[in-house]
Amino acid sequence: MPQARPGRQVQLAATEHGWAGRFEAMGSPCEVLTDGGNKREVHAVVSSVAEEAWRIEDKFSRYLDGNIIHRINTANGQAVEVDAETAGLIDFAVTLFDLSGGRFDITSGVLRGAWTFDGSDNIPDQASIDALMQRIGWQHATWHESHLTLLPGMEVDLGGIGKEYAVDRCARVAQEGAGFASMVNFGGDLAVTGPPGNRRAWKIGIEGPTPEAAERLVDLRQGALATSGDARRYLERDGVRYSHILDPTTGWPVPDAPSSITVAADTCTQAGMLSTLAMLHGRDAEPFLADQGVLYWCRP
Amino acid sequence: MKAFTRKHERSVSATLAAATCALLGTTAVTPVDAQEEPEWDFNTSLLYYGEDEGRVQDASFKSIIRRLYTDDRTLSLGFTVDALTGATPSGAIRQDGPQSFTRPSGSSSYTEPAGELPLDDTFRDTRVAITAGWQQPAGEKGLLSVGASVSKEYDYLHTGVNASYAHDFNNRNTTVSAGFAFANDSIEPVGGAPIPFTNMLDVDDTSNRVGDQDKDVLDLVFGVSQVVSKNLLIQANYSLSQSDGYLNNPYKVLSLVDGVTGDTLPRTPGPNGGPSGQYLFESRPDERTQHSLYTQAKYYMNGKVLDASYRYMTDDWEIDSHTLDVRYRIPIGDASYLEPHIRYYTQSEAEFYRLSLDGSSPLPQYASSDYRLGNFDGITAGLKYGWKTRNDNDMSLRVEWYQQSGTVPVVQLIGNQAARDNYPDLNALIVQFSYRFSR
Repeated sequence: MPQARPGRQVQLAATEHGWAGRFEAMGSPCEVLTDGGNKREVHAVVSSVAEEAWRIEDKFSRYLDGNIIHRINTANGQAVEVDAETAGLIDFAVTLFDLSGGRFDITSGVLRGAWTFDGSDNIPDQASIDALMQRIGWQHATWHESHLTLLPGMEVDLGGIGKEYAVDRCARVAQEGAGFASMVNFGGDLAVTGPPGNRRAWKIGIEGPTPEAAERLVDLRQGALATSGDARRYLERDGVRYSHILDPTTGWPVPDAPSSITVAADTCTQAGMLSTLAMLHGRDAEPFLADQGVLYWCRP
Repeated sequence: MKAFTRKHERSVSATLAAATCALLGTTAVTPVDAQEEPEWDFNTSLLYYGEDEGRVQDASFKSIIRRLYTDDRTLSLGFTVDALTGATPSGAIRQDGPQSFTRPSGSSSYTEPAGELPLDDTFRDTRVAITAGWQQPAGEKGLLSVGASVSKEYDYLHTGVNASYAHDFNNRNTTVSAGFAFANDSIEPVGGAPIPFTNMLDVDDTSNRVGDQDKDVLDLVFGVSQVVSKNLLIQANYSLSQSDGYLNNPYKVLSLVDGVTGDTLPRTPGPNGGPSGQYLFESRPDERTQHSLYTQAKYYMNGKVLDASYRYMTDDWEIDSHTLDVRYRIPIGDASYLEPHIRYYTQSEAEFYRLSLDGSSPLPQYASSDYRLGNFDGITAGLKYGWKTRNDNDMSLRVEWYQQSGTVPVVQLIGNQAARDNYPDLNALIVQFSYRFSR
């Protein structure tokens, strides 16, 4: 059971086509939109979704003490045995590490100690980056039969996977036994359980190609959308703009990364990982996405 | 350190999909179905229609621009320009000697060689049409469309409005629709509209010409479409069309003939030229009511689409027509298709269709020798090739042949007429290039 915490409550409001259930999880506003359904069943579904989201947050948040992430990050060189769900996420992260040539690395979170993307010109010096680089690198971790051993000082952070994973898990919760279609949307990363019964498609607004451009509308009948990038998180010095996408192989932001990328895929996890991998390609983000044969939107 | 490589990249999606299935504990996921709503849709086509033996040629440019707004609201604007040239049958019959006629303008005359089908060679016009339409949902399951149209030719002005409503039932598997269109057309014939059944007069004689004319047309359409299965869509429409007003073709005449020989009664042209025979301007009823029933089935099979339709039309001019139309779309690879098309059309003649008028009998109440009111069959056969360009725009090229052959009822043939070709075949070539892009 997720921890009872202040603010952990579900609010329900009627919409034109059904209901909107809202709650907060993982630092994002979360929403479950339904197509039809009566208030009682919708409330039950939204509550189950919220419970699942809070469970995942509690289990994998790097801000909480006592959870599996905390135990791994404080093991000080000792092996930690993890449960099956955590092992699944780590296996998935290993696949991404391999796919990205080491640029997707769950041990890279410590770089946040040097980089704060607050719109200022506060570029860290190379010495502080170098110091953190000593503590990064999945290749230094030992991962074998559900036992993870990190070098002392290393930490893992599943934040790069967690929200998309939670959306897919929650979409499945919303689908099970419900007689109506839903859309699970955690701060813009979303998945639908199927086409709405009374309309052609779910309509989702995404940012236009420039800040001035009108938002584009996407018709989603099945699948998921996820966005990487945040136009508000950057640093700028001497006319050079540094995106908040960090390359753990250099310790520096990926040069010329788009400011945001949205990808449509079968699941939110796939969409999120494709947009993240595209970001790590910097100026080659679009050719990379074009090669994948997915529908995507890129804001330079 | 490993680097991203192109070879590596192509397998990223597949590897990711497998890893995601493992992570989420599923064996298969339903594939994504997402589509960006375009904001603009441009549809442009160039059409050439050419009849053989110097008859009608039409070069047409058409463009439809759609602006798509959120929530399925659409504004569409259409623009068409037609350039028509060539000659069209005047309605007079062939003669063994040359025949002269006054041009529709009344200001000059022309002569048709012996034995030839009299054609009015002044058929030359430019038509410009503009349409505007607005479509929006009405409630959760309704779709409302309204539109207006204006078109202008040298001697014709059309203005029209239309509206329709479609409602979805049964989980969107059934759609019922109703619509109407109302048009008011004014006809401003070159040289004025001739009084029906008056003689074609000498050059500069306008004593049988009156001013502009007009007509109203009201169309009502009721339709139902049904998704029968994921492969089959059927639809049926009934439409009623009511025309009132001036329904004559102001340029068409009938030859007034000898009741025994069937030859055109002679006439002496005036000093400035004029008709060499007696040609009476046609006379049609000033009302027409048409009923038509249209049925269509579309069958989808592994990317191939069979589209077959049949239309039956009947009206109180006693024209009955049947149209059978079949198209079969065959995909070639991912980005192109081939679509053979065949259409068969047949109609019976109007009750007042006459090849000529018998000068020895009283005139009927109405008569027209317009071949389009006669008894004829038409076959259209063609092929369309469509392909997607690199930037996902659609192009297509359509080439079709049209062949029309008609007959004049034997009872209408008088004397020498039986030996002449009174309803010559018509062959036409149709070439159309279309280009569509959205952004």
